[in-house]
Amino acid sequence: MKSHLSIAGRFFRLLGLISLVAFFGTTISCTKKKVDDTDDTIYEVIEQNVKGMDPVYSSDVYTSRAISQIYETLLEYHHLKRPLVLQPLTAASMPTASKDGLTHTFKIKPGVKFQDDPAFPGGKGREVTAQDFIYSWKRLADPANRSDGFWIFDGRIKGLNEWRAAMEKGKADYDTPVEGLVAKDDKTLVIKLIKPYYQLYYVLAHNYSSVVAREAVEKYGKEYLNHPVGTGPYQLESWVRGSKITLKANPTWHGQTYPTEGEPGDEERGLLKDAGKALPFAKKIVFHEITEDQPRWLKFMKGEVDLSTIPKDNFDSAISGGAVSEEMKKKGIALLVIKEPDVTYTAFNMMDSYVKDKVYLRKAMSHAIDTETMIKKFYNGRAISAHSPIPPDVDAYDPNFKNPYKTYDVSKAKEFMKKAGYKEGEGPTIEYSTVSSSTSRQMAEFFQQNMAAIGIKVKIQSTDWPQFMNKIREKKAQVWGVAWLADYPDAENFLQLLYGKNISPGPNGANYTNARYDKLYEKASLLPPGPERTKIYREMRDILVEDSPWIPGVHRLGYYLHHGWLQNFKRHSIISNYHKYLRVNPKKRAELKAKL
Amino acid sequence: MLKYALRRILYMIPILFGVTVITFLLFNVAGGDPAAAALGNHASAERIEQLRREMGLDQPLIYQYFDFVKQVVTFDFGRSWSTKQTISSMILSGVGASLSLSVPSFLITLLITISLSLLLSQMRGSPLDKSVIVVCLAALSISSLVYILFFQYMFGYKIPWFPINGWDPSWIGRWEYLALPIFIFVVIQVGSNMLFYRTIFLDEIHQDYVRTAKSKGLNNNVILFKHVLRNAMVPIITLVVIQMPFLILGSLLLESFFGIPGIGGLVVRAINSSDFPVVKAMTVVSSILYMIFQLASDLLYAVVDPKIQLK
Repeated sequence: MKSHLSIAGRFFRLLGLISLVAFFGTTISCTKKKVDDTDDTIYEVIEQNVKGMDPVYSSDVYTSRAISQIYETLLEYHHLKRPLVLQPLTAASMPTASKDGLTHTFKIKPGVKFQDDPAFPGGKGREVTAQDFIYSWKRLADPANRSDGFWIFDGRIKGLNEWRAAMEKGKADYDTPVEGLVAKDDKTLVIKLIKPYYQLYYVLAHNYSSVVAREAVEKYGKEYLNHPVGTGPYQLESWVRGSKITLKANPTWHGQTYPTEGEPGDEERGLLKDAGKALPFAKKIVFHEITEDQPRWLKFMKGEVDLSTIPKDNFDSAISGGAVSEEMKKKGIALLVIKEPDVTYTAFNMMDSYVKDKVYLRKAMSHAIDTETMIKKFYNGRAISAHSPIPPDVDAYDPNFKNPYKTYDVSKAKEFMKKAGYKEGEGPTIEYSTVSSSTSRQMAEFFQQNMAAIGIKVKIQSTDWPQFMNKIREKKAQVWGVAWLADYPDAENFLQLLYGKNISPGPNGANYTNARYDKLYEKASLLPPGPERTKIYREMRDILVEDSPWIPGVHRLGYYLHHGWLQNFKRHSIISNYHKYLRVNPKKRAELKAKL
Repeated sequence: MLKYALRRILYMIPILFGVTVITFLLFNVAGGDPAAAALGNHASAERIEQLRREMGLDQPLIYQYFDFVKQVVTFDFGRSWSTKQTISSMILSGVGASLSLSVPSFLITLLITISLSLLLSQMRGSPLDKSVIVVCLAALSISSLVYILFFQYMFGYKIPWFPINGWDPSWIGRWEYLALPIFIFVVIQVGSNMLFYRTIFLDEIHQDYVRTAKSKGLNNNVILFKHVLRNAMVPIITLVVIQMPFLILGSLLLESFFGIPGIGGLVVRAINSSDFPVVKAMTVVSSILYMIFQLASDLLYAVVDPKIQLK
């Protein structure tokens, strides 16, 4: 027994030492830290890691959110007006267009300067010129940069594709002129198009088209994405990759004022209190890069971040009857619900030898999907049923339009199965591709159950996202579920997903071709927004409904929570530079945070 | 010993060759089209073809393979498709963060488990021994995700002793963020390691030499620490060395829940964004690490146990 005790004594002494070493240098605070009541910093979470701060690589919404604080485009979307309205940003006014829609002239706002940076003589940022935009867009087109954003100008601007081809062969450089991009003087930029491109102004509000300084790109070379130099309201202070981005207000920003008008109801919601005041309100923005739901949610609940989406598992505790729960209300937390410009859908590979000719089978499957249960089960009610690819708040969306094959009706589905030539309960076996996340897997199983009700056997094939996309690109998937979020608020962005010339490996993963649809798409692309174009879009929608290369799923609703100390918060998924409008009330933050 | 070590290093060359061939075939032949993956959703067939040429994917496979071997030998894997950083710098910066989490956790776990199992092996069948076994078995059957979710909620949010999540790149500042994940890492590891070491020590304690030593009147502590521990080192080293490469590769779940920018997260992000150069580099680097630690374990066997002859 004595020996046991001596060993035990030694062991516990050792354990004590280990504990001491393990926690040496750690700051363990058992008392609540005093909340700073002067800090007006905006704290936000970015749900995925930011790839880099170069606009030519701003392909995902997470990277865009960081980039759009530092860089600026010619145009931007109005913070409050809905449906989205464009307004000048670094342009002095909205552009003028020639009658044939082929020439667009932009005047650049005087006083727009690049942020101070060692790349410039004396470290002082210089005034932006029309040449800077031409240089920036050439970077997007330069094959050496491998940007996935060239599609915004691909085949649109006179001479740009030729310049790109010449660059590839080493027969051009950045000083080689492009016919369609002309700097008439330092502040006048002329864009000449090959054919009318009515989405041009939208893409000129996209981060891909942001202006960059040639000096900075050349100074930092391949490391440019770690040394962003823009014209925006904020500049990079520090970045711990994969963890935290800190931005500080740019003292040489050209300046803007808070909007004086919005949509009905904005005034009542207090969104016009700062009308006419100089932007930005916050001196700093801190973005935490957190990919997991729990830490994101706990940080919000502790008041360490000002706004948050609601993880699926926390929805019931946060929302009750479509509004914030009493518990949240007591903490001063408010809710904003928006219609996301997106669509989820089940796609058929129209080049697959089995499903391509079976329109009745596709319609039967459409009738067999119980969308309402799916919305409750997988979206916590945060979605509306989609009847076509066109999402709410874009041209040609009709809230009263009902897709006749979208109703959940098993008997109708069985009728179509009969028409397709199947005996009851003897449907085919379909291969359904999905992503190997737990939610996607559960959704695939739900689809499997729905199909089993009409005798279709579904074989689920789960892979990771890259393999899933490869299968679609290589035309190997048969049926799959996926979603599309708008790049700009125009139905064309969704209808192009089924345009014949865009088949795989292009964005038309369903490999759908219909000569009439394609003709209408080409016709609409030459028309300005207006009733004639809307009519064509709706005609295209009707063709899709009848051919059913997709079963439209849902349009999601965005639920955003924010603390009571954050003012002027309004969101739209296409807008990423909204932080300059946000205002933190530091005293209210200190007061409310103490209650959390 | 030196001769043996040299021979083993030479043996590593054909293994490394095999690793590079398999990795190359997996990514360049069976893994789909890297050009299409790099260009995203809006890419046209023409653009993909163009990028294939730029990336040298239209070259014969053998040329592509030699390019890859050159990258491995020079530790210059080019740049990530996704973040455009040099892959070597990404690996090196991630290794620091991963090691900050895994090394202290590993050492603490090792000390706790070895000491506690030595103690328990002396008290076989006692109530303490039985209860520790029950606790370890129960702890083993709980998923590591549950520990992470629970402790993060409890000590990050409910009783806010530690930050919920975050990272400080400075060597002093980071420990504030590492304390809780290190604690969880230890809790997760202790159960399985304890049972393993206890079994090893029990095996040793019933050996003849222990009985002889006892009959000679040797002090119990001397028997335990000088003889039993030393003889038990071979299986311990095996387990420890096998775990070593995973220390460098980090703990994916802990890193992503606590925002530690380590290697684990790097690999997952690379897989999710089709960042083939990073995945390829990490596959090769981890294979090399595994081989190095295997060699180290073989050499260590001879150091701790003179009965093992290295030939």
